[in-house]
Amino acid sequence: MNRLGLAFAAALLVLAGASAATAQPAFRRVVIVKVDGLNADLLNDTIHKRDPATGRSVLPWISRVFDQDGVVFDNFYVRGISLSAPSWSLLDTGRHTIIRGNAEFDRYTGQVYDYLNVFPFYLGYARNRAVDMPGVEVLDSAGIPLLIDRFAYAQVFQSFQLFQRGVSWTTLKDALFRSFSGQALRSVLESAAPISLSSSLSRQLETELEAGLRREQFLYLDFFTGDADHVGHATSDPQALLQVMREIDALVGRIATTIRQSPLARETLLVMVSDHGMNNTPGVISQTFNLPDLFGRSEGGGHHVVTNREQLSDYKLKGINPLVHRVITPSAQSIYLAGEASHYPTAWIDIDGNERAAVHLRNSDLNKIHILLLELSKSELTPEVRRAAADSLQAAIDKHRAAWNAEADGLRAELDELARAIETRKSVVKNLPKSDTQQHESGEDKANRRLRLELEHWEREHSAYRSYLSHLDRLLAFHPDSAKPFKGTISNLIPELTLGDNNSVGDLERYIVGPSAGGLVLTADGHLDEEKSFRRIDYFALLASQRARNNPQTNLSQRPIDFVAMALPHPQRGYWLYRDADHQLIILEDTSGRLRVQPVRDLTEDSHGVVHWQETSWCAGLPLELYEDEHLQVASEQRASWLSQWHTEQEWMRATYACHYSNAVIGIPEELSPVAPNVPGRPGISPLLLRYERRRRELVQADFHVFAADHWNFNARFPNPGGNHGSFLRISTHSVWMMAGGDLGARHIEEPYDSLNFASTVLNLLGKEPPMPDRVVTLR
Amino acid sequence: MHLRKRMRFLTAALLVPFLITAAYSAEPAIASRVSHAGYVWRTSPVGSSAELVTLFCQGCEQAGAAGSDVPLIALLRDTLGDTKPESSRITDLWLLSYARPNIGKRMLSAVPFFYWRVGGSRGNHGVKTLAPLLDMNALQHPAANTLTQNLLQWTVLDPLSTPVRASTRAYRGNAADDERLHLQEAISYLQQAPVSTPDSPLNQLQVQTLIARLELRKSLLGGFVSADGAAKYGVSAQIRDLEIRSRDWELLREWADKTGLYFEPLDLAGTRNEYAALWIPLTGSHPASATSVAPIWKLLNLKPPSPRDLQQIPAGAVFERALDENGNLLPAGSSGARQIKLVPLGIYSLDYPKMPLLVADFRNHHHLRWRAMEQRSINEVTAGVIGISHFTNWYYYVAADLYDFVASRHGSPMNQAARLDCYSQFRARLALDRELDPTLRAEAMQRIDSLAMNPLEAAPNAEMQAASANFKALEDRAQTGQLLALVKKNRREELAAWDRTKLGAIRHELFRVLTFGAYTPEAKSSEDIVAQLAVQRRAQYQLDFLEQLARAGTPPEVQVDSNRIAASVAELESLLPAVNSDRFHLEARNTIARLRSNSEDSDLQARCERALVALYSIDEARRTVALKPTSVRLPSAE
Repeated sequence: MNRLGLAFAAALLVLAGASAATAQPAFRRVVIVKVDGLNADLLNDTIHKRDPATGRSVLPWISRVFDQDGVVFDNFYVRGISLSAPSWSLLDTGRHTIIRGNAEFDRYTGQVYDYLNVFPFYLGYARNRAVDMPGVEVLDSAGIPLLIDRFAYAQVFQSFQLFQRGVSWTTLKDALFRSFSGQALRSVLESAAPISLSSSLSRQLETELEAGLRREQFLYLDFFTGDADHVGHATSDPQALLQVMREIDALVGRIATTIRQSPLARETLLVMVSDHGMNNTPGVISQTFNLPDLFGRSEGGGHHVVTNREQLSDYKLKGINPLVHRVITPSAQSIYLAGEASHYPTAWIDIDGNERAAVHLRNSDLNKIHILLLELSKSELTPEVRRAAADSLQAAIDKHRAAWNAEADGLRAELDELARAIETRKSVVKNLPKSDTQQHESGEDKANRRLRLELEHWEREHSAYRSYLSHLDRLLAFHPDSAKPFKGTISNLIPELTLGDNNSVGDLERYIVGPSAGGLVLTADGHLDEEKSFRRIDYFALLASQRARNNPQTNLSQRPIDFVAMALPHPQRGYWLYRDADHQLIILEDTSGRLRVQPVRDLTEDSHGVVHWQETSWCAGLPLELYEDEHLQVASEQRASWLSQWHTEQEWMRATYACHYSNAVIGIPEELSPVAPNVPGRPGISPLLLRYERRRRELVQADFHVFAADHWNFNARFPNPGGNHGSFLRISTHSVWMMAGGDLGARHIEEPYDSLNFASTVLNLLGKEPPMPDRVVTLR
Repeated sequence: MHLRKRMRFLTAALLVPFLITAAYSAEPAIASRVSHAGYVWRTSPVGSSAELVTLFCQGCEQAGAAGSDVPLIALLRDTLGDTKPESSRITDLWLLSYARPNIGKRMLSAVPFFYWRVGGSRGNHGVKTLAPLLDMNALQHPAANTLTQNLLQWTVLDPLSTPVRASTRAYRGNAADDERLHLQEAISYLQQAPVSTPDSPLNQLQVQTLIARLELRKSLLGGFVSADGAAKYGVSAQIRDLEIRSRDWELLREWADKTGLYFEPLDLAGTRNEYAALWIPLTGSHPASATSVAPIWKLLNLKPPSPRDLQQIPAGAVFERALDENGNLLPAGSSGARQIKLVPLGIYSLDYPKMPLLVADFRNHHHLRWRAMEQRSINEVTAGVIGISHFTNWYYYVAADLYDFVASRHGSPMNQAARLDCYSQFRARLALDRELDPTLRAEAMQRIDSLAMNPLEAAPNAEMQAASANFKALEDRAQTGQLLALVKKNRREELAAWDRTKLGAIRHELFRVLTFGAYTPEAKSSEDIVAQLAVQRRAQYQLDFLEQLARAGTPPEVQVDSNRIAASVAELESLLPAVNSDRFHLEARNTIARLRSNSEDSDLQARCERALVALYSIDEARRTVALKPTSVRLPSAE
C-alpha cells in the first residue's frame, strides 16, 4: 500500500471513530464523583444487600441512580499497576501512562517526583512557586492534556485532588471558617466529635459543587474523595467499610438531587469512578515486609536507601515535616560506603506502592568503578594489584565508552536546545503583564505563572543535567594511574545522589555490592579476578528467598514477595516475571501489540546484552497463576497452548479479567514498556526538546518492580493493616465505573474494560474528540 | 485554734459533695438465655413493664473458680409493658464488679503521693451501696458535677492552703481515675456483648450507643451530647478502636521482626487481637535490621536483655514452645518441627491509640510503676503542692504539652488517660481469662497488680467476687420492689424533662447543682403516666425517624420504602393529638413539610399533605382550647 492509501485508510478509521462518536447520546455537562480506592466487588456486593429496616438497598442512592437507572461497567479494571498516581493519570487523560508510580526518581539528577504529597504544592502555590500538582506538571511537559483541559477555564469546577490545577483559596478559607463556625462548635458539643479541616474542606467543596451545579456556566464538575482509600487502608472491618460507602452513597444522593433540580438536568452526565480496588478481606491484617531494611542489610547489599518518606514516621520528630520528599536511611552494614549515606545512597525505593515497590539500584559498573577508585587510593596496594585494578577500572570505563559518549552527545544537544528555549522563555516572561482581576477570572494569571515556573524548572534541570554530563565527561577522560595511589576526588568522577544507567538483567543477577572480604584478587596471569575480587548478589534469587519471621496468620504466605518483574532489554519487547528459579514467565509483545506468555527458566544475558532463556512447560505455581486459575476463560486442555500463543489485548482481557491476577498480562507491559513513545510532546515542540522530555521520563524508570504476596505490603512508613493495592491482584485492580443521566438508559456492561476506555468514552458522550477513538465504548 | 477548727469544718463541708455518691437499686427469675462466644445476655422481668438485662461471662475465671458464670453488666430497661422497640428505653446501667470504696480508702485517697492500693477488697458492696454507673435520665449530671467541682477547686479550695489544695486535688484525681477505670471496665465488657444474634435483647446500635455514653462520660462535656450524636459517636468510636487495634498489632509484629523476637497474639477471655506477647529465645535475639534497633527497643518500652541476663533467668520462667517448619511460633501445647526455649518479655495492649502499650513487663518488675508514679508525682507537685494554674501559669502547661508531644513522638506513652483505659481493660480481661498459660497468667497478674496505684481501687479478683454479690443485691431489689420504684421514678423524671428546651434543661441543671442535687423535677405520679410515656416515646421515635430522612435533603423514598414512610407519618399524625407540646407539634409539622417538599413520590407527597392538614386542625383545636396563639409557620414550599 502506498502512502496515499495509508492516509486514506487512516482517514477512514478516524471517520469511523467520529461517526461512532456522533452516534452517542450527547451531554453538555459532566459531573464526576472520583472515589479513591473503592473496590468494585465490595461495592457491587453491598449495593445488592437489602436493609430490612428500610426495604431498600443499604446503598440506596448508588443502587437507584446507577445500578437501576444507569450504566454500570461490571468489569472495569486498572490498566497498569493499581496505584493512585498512575491510575488517576490514565483516567484523567485517557492516554497510556507516563507516570508509573506514586513517587519517581530521576536517575541522573536525583530529582524526586512525589505525586501524592499535597503540602509542598499548597505552600508553593501560596508563595507563587507552584500552580499545578506535580503530576499535572509532568503531564503538561509531556504534552498530555487532562480531561478538564477540554473545557474553558470558566466552565470548570475542580475539587482538590492529585491531578489538580490551581488552588482555590476562597474554598480553603471558607473551609477554615467552617471549622470554627458556631455550627461547628455546636456540633462539637452535641456530637463530641470535632470537625476536622479535611471534613470541613469536603463539606465546603460539596457546597460549592452544588452551587456550581445550579449555574449553567459550569460544564465540568468533579468531586474527589479519599475517604474509602483511607478507611480501607486502616481496617478491613466490614462495618467500617460499609460506613464509608454509606457516606459516599449519601453524597451521590445529594449530588443527583441537585442535578435533577438544576437547569441542565437532562443534559448532565453523572459519573462515578474509582482509580483502583483495595485488598480488604475481613479478619485479615495486612503485614508489612520491610524492603528498605533488606536492601540496607549486608545480605541485601548494605545500601544506604532513599525513600520519599521517613520509615516509622509517626515515631520521629522529623516525621512531622510535610515537605520532605527524600529520606536517606543510612545502612549500619554498608560494605564500602560507610559514612557516605548523604552522598552515595545506592538504592532508591518507591515504597509508596504498598503491594508493589519500584527499586532503582545504582548501576553495578558505577559501583565497581567506585570500589576500584577507593582501592586505588590506598597506598598499601602492591604494584601488581594496583596495575590490575587500574586496568580493570579502565576496562570498566571503556566498556561503556561508546554508550556514554552517545548519551553525552545526545543529552548535550538537548540541553543546548533547552538553553535556547530558556532564553526565549525569559523574554516572554519578562513581558508578561501583571495579574489583574480580569486575568484571574479567565485563568490567564495561572497560565502566566505556569510559564514563569516552567522557566525555573528548566533552569534547574539544565543545571542538574549539565552537572551529570560534566561528571560523565570527566569519567570518560579519566585514565587511572597504575603506578601511584589515586589522589583525586571520587565525587568529581562519580556524581553524588545519582544512579547512572539502569541495570540490565545480567547486572542484577551479578550485582556488585562491594569488594570481596579478601580484597582484590589476581588471576594467575596477573589480571584482576573479577569473580573473586567483588562481592556480588543475585537480586532475583535474594528476593525470592525472603521468608516471614513472624507470621501468625496462617492463611498468609510465608513468602512476602510474590514475584519480581522487569523489562527485557531492547529490541526484545518482553517482560520477565521471576517467582523463583523454577517458576518464571516472560510476556512477549509483537509489533502489532499482540501478547503471549511463556514459562521459562535459566534466563541469562550475554555479553552483547541479548537475553536468552529456555522455554519450559506450563505448570501450577508460575507467576500470575494463570494456568491453574479456575476463572481463566480457556478450556483446561487448551490452556498451555492458548497461553503461549499470540493474542490481541482484547482476547487476553476477555480470557483473564476474572482471574486472581485479572488483567496483569496487559498491565505489566503498560507499566514496564518503554515510556518514550507515550510522550507526544506539546504541539510544535522541537524534535530535540521532545527527545529531551522523553529522556526525562525514561530516566525515572526503575530497574525492577517487586510485587507483594497476597495480604503483604511494603509500606515501611507506617502500617496499613487494612487493605492495600498496587499489585495486579484482581481485588486491587477491579474498579468502579458507573454513569447515569439523560437518555443513557439502564444496563450492566459485562464486557471487560480498563482505564484507557474511561476518558475517551466520557468525552465522546460530551460530543468532544476522544483522545483514543478506538477506546470509546459504544453505549447505544 | 478556732480558726483551724473552722478551716477543718469548712474543708470537710467542701469535701462532702465529692464524697457523696448516689445509691440506687431489681426481680430476678431468669426468663431467657442467649449465648455468644463466652458472653451471654440474660433477661429477667421487673414487674410487668420493665426488665433487667444482665451480661454474663460464661465459663469465665472467677477468683480461682474456673468455669463459673460471672455477672458483669446489668441494664434496667423500661418497656412500658409493650413489645415494640420504640416504646422501650434503657434507663440505668450497673457495673456489677463495682463496689463503693469504704471511708478508710477514701481518706487515704486524699493523701498526696500515696500510690498504693490498700487491702484486697474494695470495701462495701451489696444492697445499700449499689449505684448505677450510668443514669440515662441524668446524663448531664456528672458533667455538671465535674464542672462545679472544678469551679469550686479553682475558686475556693486552691487558694486556701497547700495541704487543702494538695489533698483535695489528690482525692479528686484518684476519684476521677477510679471512675474512669470502671467506665473502661464496663466498656470492655460491653464490647464483648453478643449483638448479632436475632434473639439478642440489644442490637448493635444500642450497644454501641451505650459504649458511647460511657466513653462520653470520660470527657468534660460528654454528658451534654445529644442521643443522635452519641449514636454516631458510638459507630465512629468502634471503627476507630478497630483501626487502632489492627495498627498496633502490625506495629508490634514488625518491631518483633526487627528485634529478632517472637510475636504472639493473645486471646484473653474470649477477646481477639487485643493483646500480644513478645518472647525472646533463651539463646538471645538476632536483630534483622540494617539500622540500629535501639530506637525499636525504646518504642517497645523494654530494655534488651543481654545474653548474661538470659543465662540468669530461672528455669521456671523459661517456656518450652514449638516452631513450625518455617520458624513460626506455634500455639502453646502444639508440637512442631522443632522445640525452642523462650522467655516472655512482655504483654502489650493493642488498644493504646498511638502504639502498642506495654502492660506487663516480665523482666523488670518496677519500671512501669515507677514511670507512672513519676508522671503522677510531677502533676501533684505542680498542681497540688506548688499550685501552678492553667490560667495564670499557662506557659508551664504549654511547655509541658510540648514536652509530652516530643516524648510521644519518640515512643513514650504519655497519654495517662489512655494508659489507664488499657490498664483497666487488661486487669478485667486477665481476671476473667482462663485460656492463658496458668504460669504466664499468674505472672501477668502479679505485674498488673504492681501497677495499682489508686487507694480507691480494689483487686480484680475481689471485684469479680463483688460482682456476684452485687448481682444478688440487684435481684433482691427487684424482689422487694425497689427496682420497680426506681423505674417509676425514672418515668416521672422522663416525663418532666420531655418537653424541656435546651435553655430550660440548663436552667434545671443549674438549680440541681445549686441545691446539691435536692432539686430534681419529677412529674406528678398519676395513673396514666405509662400511657402518656408510651405515646411520647412512640411519637418521638417516629419524629426522629422522619427527621433523619428530612435532614438528608434528598427524596426520602429512595432511602426508605414509601409505604414505611407513609406509615410513620400516619402513626405520628395519630399520636399527635395526645401529645401536649407546642414544640413537638411545630417540629413534627416542619419535618413533614420538608419531607413533602423533598419527595418526588406523588403518593407520599399526598400523604404528607393530608397529615399537614390534619396537624393544622389539631393545632387549631389545641390553640382554641388553650387560647394560646402560636407563631408556627410552615415553609413557603407548602
